[in-house]
Amino acid sequence: MPDIVLQARGLAKAFASPAGRLPVLTDVSLEVFAGESVSIRGSSGSGKTTLLQQLGGLDQPDAGEVRILAPGAGLVAPRSSLGRGVGFVFQNYQLMPELTALENVALAARVAGASASSATEAARALLVQVGLGARLEHLPAKLSGGECQRVAIARALVNRPSLILADEPTGNLDERTGAEIMDLLLGVVADRGAALILVTHSREFAERAARRFVLSGGVLSPA
Amino acid sequence: MPWFLHLALRQLFPPGKRFPAFATVSILGVALGVASLLVVQTVMNGFGEEHRLRIRESFGDCLVTGPAPIEKPEALAKELAARPEVASASLFAEGPALARNGDFSGIAQVRGIDPTDPGQPARKYVYGGRFDDLDDGRIILGVGLARALRVRIGDRVEVWSPAMAERAEKGKAPLPAEFEVCAVIQTGFTEVDNAAALIPLRRFREIWNLGPRAHGLTLRLKEPALAAATAGRLAVGHPELRFRPWQDIKKDFLEAIRFEKTMLFFLMFIITLVASFSIGSTLFSAVIRRSREVGVLASLGAARWQVVALFGLQGLLIGALGTLLGFLLTWTILSFRDGILGAINSLFGGGDMVANVYQFSKVPLHYDASDFFIAAAFTLLTTAIAGLVPALWAAGRKPSEAMRDA
Ligand SMILES: Nc1ncnc2c1ncn2[C@@H]1O[C@H](COP(=O)(O)OP(=O)(O)OP(=O)(O)O)[C@@H](O)[C@H]1O
Ligand SMILES: [Mg+2]
Repeated sequence: MPDIVLQARGLAKAFASPAGRLPVLTDVSLEVFAGESVSIRGSSGSGKTTLLQQLGGLDQPDAGEVRILAPGAGLVAPRSSLGRGVGFVFQNYQLMPELTALENVALAARVAGASASSATEAARALLVQVGLGARLEHLPAKLSGGECQRVAIARALVNRPSLILADEPTGNLDERTGAEIMDLLLGVVADRGAALILVTHSREFAERAARRFVLSGGVLSPA
Repeated sequence: MPWFLHLALRQLFPPGKRFPAFATVSILGVALGVASLLVVQTVMNGFGEEHRLRIRESFGDCLVTGPAPIEKPEALAKELAARPEVASASLFAEGPALARNGDFSGIAQVRGIDPTDPGQPARKYVYGGRFDDLDDGRIILGVGLARALRVRIGDRVEVWSPAMAERAEKGKAPLPAEFEVCAVIQTGFTEVDNAAALIPLRRFREIWNLGPRAHGLTLRLKEPALAAATAGRLAVGHPELRFRPWQDIKKDFLEAIRFEKTMLFFLMFIITLVASFSIGSTLFSAVIRRSREVGVLASLGAARWQVVALFGLQGLLIGALGTLLGFLLTWTILSFRDGILGAINSLFGGGDMVANVYQFSKVPLHYDASDFFIAAAFTLLTTAIAGLVPALWAAGRKPSEAMRDA
């Protein structure tokens, strides 16, 4: 049986709103194993982004518990696995506008503690792998949306995390580019032995994951 | 280089932009603040130094006087000059007199000096005529006094001393001493220039009935800065005499200069403070603009202190570069100060203030390392705080919320 990389039990999250407390997640449990891909669909506002934030440690759930496999440290709280156990891919890429493609990827490695030279080497290798070997010195403003998302994918993978959390990675891209990015994402993630949680609106892309869920009414149910 | 420093530099000086507006404007703001502070301080120091120098030249580094004229001044001078702290000692005799040229007269502060002394400070201030022409029949006048008496080099003046009144009391006809003006001096001290009259000490003793006595001694010290302590030491063994270090002689005046400098420092400091505030507000808006990036950094595993360092360093970098540029600007402005002053005078039609009011030929300067140090320390401190406040705010936000910001 493969290692467990993510374990979430009984997650609940509500936000304060003018109309009172707005429950977004009521009871979410999920287990993800090494190398597997999971897709989550749900209507807009159903709480997909909120869920990923709880899973990845960008926010604290009101109730429940998350554990993530950090390389060399076992199952830890997601907060302490940020950048090493988990890599994020966002809908709008979220690259640093003042850094080149190469520096954006290397930054993630530097933040995780790599030396400048080994960070640059790892970044270069990954960018070549995602097909951007000729765009290393480009600033994000000089890259197409698809190219930016490739940089973001390389950045998410550079620290060899056990889990990638991708929040609508094709949401800003046209159909064809979106398909290319999906191919790439599934390909490199599998290649690196990482698990993937993919949030998407697209039924077609969701179908490509090994396990599929729908988030609705604050709970996750198999599609 | 830690990653946050690298990123801070990139955010301040984005690649591919020839004109990083935010950094340029902020750095210039700091530089102008620092430069205005240092220019004012350095010129104030210059005036202060100039005045101190003139005080020392007029009164020596230490003035020795007694309740009555000193009986054996030559012996005392010899004794004091032998002390290791003392460079030289000269006799001092001074008194007011009435100077007259026909219908014009003025109060003269007459001083008896040694015309052969090569170190006589008055030599430096000769404005017309020749110092070396001074002999028993000649006199050197301050430029203001010469003007008041309407005399030029070669003209004659009469000097009426109080000792002549004594003669009159005894029923003898008082006769004024007559002198030919051989030189005019201009020290820049209005007080001195409007009254000074220099004659040989020998003649002074005659006119004032001093005999072999003198009013006091002026000492030059090897360490003028230590004059107060040295005066105290020299005074031991001479309880009847008063040893006044030059710092005491014009105490109020020197205090006023120092006070003026302190006041100006505070005024100018406010300028740098204003510059720091504008950096703070610009950095704040930059941090808000970068909210999502703060969230991304958190998702990459950046620690809070690293986010604080990222933005705090930008404030500090602006402060440091602004300070350096400010130093450079100070030096440039001060190097061209006379040209700049000339341009201002011709623009606004003002007369030459420096020459007319202060009677210095150039705007005086005195670079003081401590001014530069204080200016740099204050500027770095305020700009660091200006960067730190928004940095702390940014680092304190929840990454999930920071990333929802547009
Ligand atoms: N910080 C917050 N404060 C208040 N309400 C919030 C906050 N974050 C999210 N919400 C609310 O929680 C709900 C879920 O938001 P979320 O962004 O997770 O939805 P989503 O499923 O990702 O939607 P989409 O598909 O449009 O991205 C929304 O109704 C949103 O308004
Ligand atoms: Mg979303």
